[in-house]
Amino acid sequence: MQTIDALRRSGVGIEPGQTIREAAALMESAGVGSLAVLDGTTVIGIVTDRDLVRRGMALGLPLDARVDAVMSSRVVTISADADLHEAFSVFRTHGVRRLAVVRDGAFAGMITVDDLLVDLADDLVDLSRPIDAEIRAAYHDGAVPATT
Amino acid sequence: MAVQAAVGDRIVIKSHRIGEPDRDCEVLAVRGADGGPPYAVRWDDSGQEGLFFPGSDATVQHFEHVTS
Repeated sequence: MQTIDALRRSGVGIEPGQTIREAAALMESAGVGSLAVLDGTTVIGIVTDRDLVRRGMALGLPLDARVDAVMSSRVVTISADADLHEAFSVFRTHGVRRLAVVRDGAFAGMITVDDLLVDLADDLVDLSRPIDAEIRAAYHDGAVPATT
Repeated sequence: MAVQAAVGDRIVIKSHRIGEPDRDCEVLAVRGADGGPPYAVRWDDSGQEGLFFPGSDATVQHFEHVTS
């Protein structure tokens, strides 16, 4: 499976010069907890609801402060057509909770650890079905005829 | 995931949590090639504008665009 196929949620972008008030309103309207900060189609940062609190509200920034003042500029990316196993590896290596998915250098979406956990849970349920069926409707082989 | 939309279409995003409503926005501009994403959108509830990259939770409602 390609990483792009594992995207469960739509991605939402914001421009670096927009305000943190607009970022908060966008998160609320779109029902997301993070936004890609985009220069054109290039992702230059990620801003999360936690960033708005820790780097904005907690430091007394005004609501009209630029969103790039509170974003994380360390963005870990993965190619849209990379195998999903590579996403697991990148998460493990970089210790982040979300990756920006890019296609030909342009932002295409965001994949989170939560998305992968949901997929893993689904896979585990599928894997357990034959075992579950075996337990609930046990089939017993007939006795092997004794031969001498 | 070949999504296509036109200006004036509506995009509905299915809720991810029980009890939360679906979200929707209007396509203001198509920034990708051949009707593809990203889309500049206006969110229905807040009027906020932003760039949108549809995932599997989003469906596009096409409308007839009549010019008179």
